[in-house]
Amino acid sequence: MASAVSSRVQGDRMNTHRFSQARGLVFAFSLASGLLLAFIMLPLLEIYGSQTSASLMRAASSAEVRNAILLSLEAACLTTACAGLLGVPLAYLLARFSFPGKGFVEAIVDLPLAVPHTVVGIGLLFVFGRTGLLGAPAASITGIKFWGTTAGVVIAMLYVSVPYAVNAARVGLESVDPRLEKVARTLGAGRWAVLFKVTLPLAGRGILTGLSLTFARSISEFGAVIVLTYYPMTAPVKIYDLFLQFGLSESSAMATLFLTVTLSLFIFFRYLVALRKGGAPIGWRA
Amino acid sequence: MAGVTAPFVGAQGLSLRVGTFELREVTFAMGPRDTFVILGPSGAGKSLLLETLAGFYRPDRGQVFIGGRDATAAPPEARRVAFMFQDYALFPHLTVTQNVEFGRRFSGSRADAEPVSALLARLGLEHIGARKPAQLSGGEKQRVALARALAMDPALFLFDEPLAALDARFRDTLRAELKTFLGNAGIPAIYVTHDQLEALALADKMAVMSDGAFVQVGTPTEIFNAPASELVANFVGVETVLEGTVIGVSDGIARIGAGTRVLHALSNDSARPDERVLACIRPEDVALARTRHADSSVRNQFDAKVLAIAASGPLFKVTLDAGFPLVAYVSKQSYIELGLASGTEVIASIKATAIHLICR
Repeated sequence: MASAVSSRVQGDRMNTHRFSQARGLVFAFSLASGLLLAFIMLPLLEIYGSQTSASLMRAASSAEVRNAILLSLEAACLTTACAGLLGVPLAYLLARFSFPGKGFVEAIVDLPLAVPHTVVGIGLLFVFGRTGLLGAPAASITGIKFWGTTAGVVIAMLYVSVPYAVNAARVGLESVDPRLEKVARTLGAGRWAVLFKVTLPLAGRGILTGLSLTFARSISEFGAVIVLTYYPMTAPVKIYDLFLQFGLSESSAMATLFLTVTLSLFIFFRYLVALRKGGAPIGWRA
Repeated sequence: MAGVTAPFVGAQGLSLRVGTFELREVTFAMGPRDTFVILGPSGAGKSLLLETLAGFYRPDRGQVFIGGRDATAAPPEARRVAFMFQDYALFPHLTVTQNVEFGRRFSGSRADAEPVSALLARLGLEHIGARKPAQLSGGEKQRVALARALAMDPALFLFDEPLAALDARFRDTLRAELKTFLGNAGIPAIYVTHDQLEALALADKMAVMSDGAFVQVGTPTEIFNAPASELVANFVGVETVLEGTVIGVSDGIARIGAGTRVLHALSNDSARPDERVLACIRPEDVALARTRHADSSVRNQFDAKVLAIAASGPLFKVTLDAGFPLVAYVSKQSYIELGLASGTEVIASIKATAIHLICR
């Protein structure tokens, strides 16, 4: 322990040393970074700055606004659950096995990141729409419809966000030393017990990161959702609707409410992930 | 295999290929208290053998015996095999106590099983039960891993170079602890290493492994003093391996012609005149002096010239030209007294009993 601490102190000293030597570079890069951070933060701050408490109250008192925000939360939660249930097994296969066509599978997983979201929506209409490949039989056999329903919203959100769940979970699972799983087997635990007692707890941080990214991506999805199912309106769709009907001030009041909800959740998830840091396997062998 | 009684622990004709690694007809048998050391260079298939014994691979051919039963088809969780990896692979998300309890939880503990708390106490871990592995010293990690393994009442210990990553001084301490533990536990153990000292220190019985096959199986003395092939001789630290021809055998002493020199070596039964042999000389068996011994019991005395000297631990490794290449180890005291330097003329003497012959 002591040597680890002292080596870290030494490392810091070395960094400081290098820092002072690289002053010009650090200054230039800090300037660029500052611009970037301001670029990210300014629009959000401006939304808050444009609001009066009266406009916020008026937006919050609208049942339509509240329902849209609740629907977004509900659909994003369902999407995250689906992404976890479907994405973690795929992430496990990718992390633990090599098989023919693995590169192809990886490309498929990343594909939703490359497809424009309106195009996703159109593709989903062909499959899950009223006369779609799966949409029509699903409606006639099980009664589940993907148009005008929360299920449709979830499908659209899932398509665009599931790569985040798979890729982050995969990184988490890959960080688990396979020898730990082997030791657990020799200690009498079967494959499923090893998965639940060793692998998943140790990959927890990666999986949690993936799920929080999935949630964030889902709740902010607009393009795929609006093409597949305009109604019921999620918060982003409702904000767009308000913008078209009443202009900037009406829509920005709801935008402020929705932004507050999503930012709070974002901060909460980051806190959860940070909490897991202590139990995380990364670098444990040192 | 009818009529062959199963060994307590062992393998029969174990063959398997996994990628570039393979096992070729590995056969051995151990008693219920033996420590069996497998010595071999990296890539020899040692780890593959251990993982096959543990049940992570199904052999293409052959059988595995654990606890006196054929375990070839059993999954790892049913074999009661304690696998000790390098650095011991403790569960980093569990405390010391939880690690040990893991060993107990899945193995269906018997009524008379030693309680986890007693196990912790026996290995001197009771005061650190709440710590996580990241907060443990190397010695503590080893003891936690042993306790975790004992908790599931193992039929066999498998050690995969557990000490290889440690620095030398620490390694000696942990090796001594391990030897005591194995002596007291009375549980058979297979220990894989590429370190000859570790093999000598721990083995009741040992095998030298190369290219997926056991090239020699025997006691440590048999293997270190009577290597069965040049490959084994090179690997177990015989620095000088000379090709020669048997000139004659009399009174149990064989005269070997090697280049311009004649060596006297204790004959093995198969040495016949005109036979090609390898003479193996361990560097610690070569004595250097400034003058010839009057004592005639030393059969082999050669004029030699020092070619190179290198420090090797507490000793000096001296490379000589004695009419043939020869390597000797001398102490620091001898090094100073003899005034050794490159080019020094010395007398190298080797007892006939210290030259081991391998027939080609």
